[in-house]
Amino acid sequence: MVFSNLPLLILFGPLLAALAILLVPSRGFGLRLIELIHTVSIAAVAVLALAIASDVVDGAHLTAFDDWFAVDALGAIFVSVIGVVGFLTGLYSLSYIRHELRDGELDPAKVKSYYGFFSLFLFTMVLATIANNIVLMWVAIEATTLGSAFLVGCYGRKSSLEAAWKYVIICTVGVAFGLYGTVLAYANASDVLGNADSAILWTTLAAHATALDPMLAKLSFVFVLIGFGTKAGLFPMSAWLPDAHSEAPSPVSALLSGVLLKCALLVVIRYYAITVRAVGPEFPQMIVLILGTLSILVAAPLFFVQKDLKRKLAYSSIEHVGLIAVGLGVGGPLGVAAALLHAINHSLAKALMFCGSGNVLMKFHTRDLDRVKGLMRVAPVSGVLLLFGCLALAGLPPFNVFVSEFMVFTAGMKAGYLWLMLLCALFFTITVAGFIQIVAGSVLGKAADATPEGDVGVAALAPMGILLVLVIVTGVTIPGPILRLVGDATAIVTGDSTPVAFAMPWATQAAPAEVALAGPQLHTETKR
Amino acid sequence: MFDFQLINGLAGLLIVTSLLVILSRGPANSARFYALQSFILVLTFLALAKETGSRELYLWSASAFVTKVILVPAIMYRAFSKLDDPRLGSGETMSPAVSVILAAGVVILCFWVVSGVALPAAEAIKPALAVSLAHFFLGLACIVTQRNILKQVFGYCLMENGSHLTLALLAAKAPELVEVGIATDAIFAVAIMAMLGTRIFLTFHSLDARKLTTLKG
Repeated sequence: MVFSNLPLLILFGPLLAALAILLVPSRGFGLRLIELIHTVSIAAVAVLALAIASDVVDGAHLTAFDDWFAVDALGAIFVSVIGVVGFLTGLYSLSYIRHELRDGELDPAKVKSYYGFFSLFLFTMVLATIANNIVLMWVAIEATTLGSAFLVGCYGRKSSLEAAWKYVIICTVGVAFGLYGTVLAYANASDVLGNADSAILWTTLAAHATALDPMLAKLSFVFVLIGFGTKAGLFPMSAWLPDAHSEAPSPVSALLSGVLLKCALLVVIRYYAITVRAVGPEFPQMIVLILGTLSILVAAPLFFVQKDLKRKLAYSSIEHVGLIAVGLGVGGPLGVAAALLHAINHSLAKALMFCGSGNVLMKFHTRDLDRVKGLMRVAPVSGVLLLFGCLALAGLPPFNVFVSEFMVFTAGMKAGYLWLMLLCALFFTITVAGFIQIVAGSVLGKAADATPEGDVGVAALAPMGILLVLVIVTGVTIPGPILRLVGDATAIVTGDSTPVAFAMPWATQAAPAEVALAGPQLHTETKR
Repeated sequence: MFDFQLINGLAGLLIVTSLLVILSRGPANSARFYALQSFILVLTFLALAKETGSRELYLWSASAFVTKVILVPAIMYRAFSKLDDPRLGSGETMSPAVSVILAAGVVILCFWVVSGVALPAAEAIKPALAVSLAHFFLGLACIVTQRNILKQVFGYCLMENGSHLTLALLAAKAPELVEVGIATDAIFAVAIMAMLGTRIFLTFHSLDARKLTTLKG
């Protein structure tokens, strides 16, 4: 373990920015200054996240503040997701929020709070991913709810207040289960290890997991899964998600779906790793598999019947979180690696689509798909971006979601879950149909004559363009650093460094090209 | 041994006070009972600190007194006494008798679950441990069965008190900062819920959770 200042910098940077924004007056020049602080904040988080990831790729395990903060490969994946998606949605916010201000949907005071809470939300999510102290981990997840509640209820309409209330109540109650699970895990470790200070560290818990009381370890995992699973959007605890995602401003929806759900999943994964070591893989895998499958089976039909674009995307998020859980439930190095890769890929693709829904709102002032027609004609660039976003989330090649979806299904079949995987795949075809409906009706289709022509500004399109490029690049190949991080993280989760055989789905010749890695060895099959 | 009986007895009183919080009319009254309950929780911490000789627990008792007996009830009392929805009444969806029977059922079930825990530290305080678990679920039941959104906030506070007691019982020597973290989060949570509840009351002119039905599907 290497001491580093980077975790502290990435943590306190956005917190300071949030405080600074709250001090600046919201009138006149103040708004420009707020935008500037916001831009510096999101850029700093992105740069520091990538610097941390790069150190971890080089084999470092960064720690700070008496090991209360630590970034391993598992944490680095999620820190990078916060950095990249946080930066791009933050950039998109600049254009989107100006538009909302012009339209009178938000007033300057609300805009100021928006940017203040945006940085605060980034701070809480970073805290959740770098906390090594399990109670701090809980505090962070709880704080993400409190930090983002304002963002969800930002518009102050009846529907947004209702969504914010449901969000706060369901998530704090859910996360109270997480606290109970945390307390049980800590008490268990503290009793077994006889050291109250180090028993609170996740790294210690993972290292001594085999000594834990199995009954308490199981009980703790159930509480943690219910608790943080609520925040991750797993069925049946996901009741808050469609409301919060649809009522929040679009860049925030992107952040909620793309990043927040994954931060909660990270905590679930950390406890999954402890439980696998403490009581063996069967128990945690079984319950995660059940919740994951249920999430897919319930969310897919609900996704299909929605008429509201953002609610549709929200149900798609539940479905994809379900698929990540299925990957974890299938277990083994391949299942876990597929789940982690899907977490990254879904973040990028879903952020693109939620930003796309923001463009739709800016053009049509409605989320009702029956009234959104012919985006391609009135705003061609937005249309193309939304078209590719739909195809990506539908799981078609050459986009990244296809790669990781395919990997999850392959892992499941190899683990002997043939019928279950076929069932899940069947429900994912419903999703394909749903996205094709969006493409056929809203992206293509014939625009109403009253809809003014002209695209949204470059400032909104550029971050989406970057997201699309990332979605395609990670769909064509798994970049080296990601491969390395996912491989190392998989070893951390399974506690087993057996090689993982990755195969890009269209590799026709099985020609394993070994990638030399320190630690766990990854064998990859790449396209020739 | 005597002191462990005291701890178990105080924990039993917590169940009684939770029922008072859940069943009392009006959120302002619930805030008073919540303060009383937190005071009993602090006494439990003190008894436990004396028995285990834990310096950390004495500190916890002090910080829990400030946050749970004074700050949180004060925030709720101030925010909630201005809000009143006379049409809603006490907001219960089941009669007090049924609630009490349900609570008894929860306690019995929790005793059964706790009997399976084999930690040596838990041996003498199993009744208190069962109560802390039951307390957590009573809070949950309060949230699920209450139509008054402010009463739902109390449900969360009961759940939080339950987990806090479990932590003290099973890990008396946990670092003080841990407790501060949990307590601070709870204060923020209650403050934000109170703020949102007030805005909902001003917008909807009601505190009835069943009126929050714009979003469906």
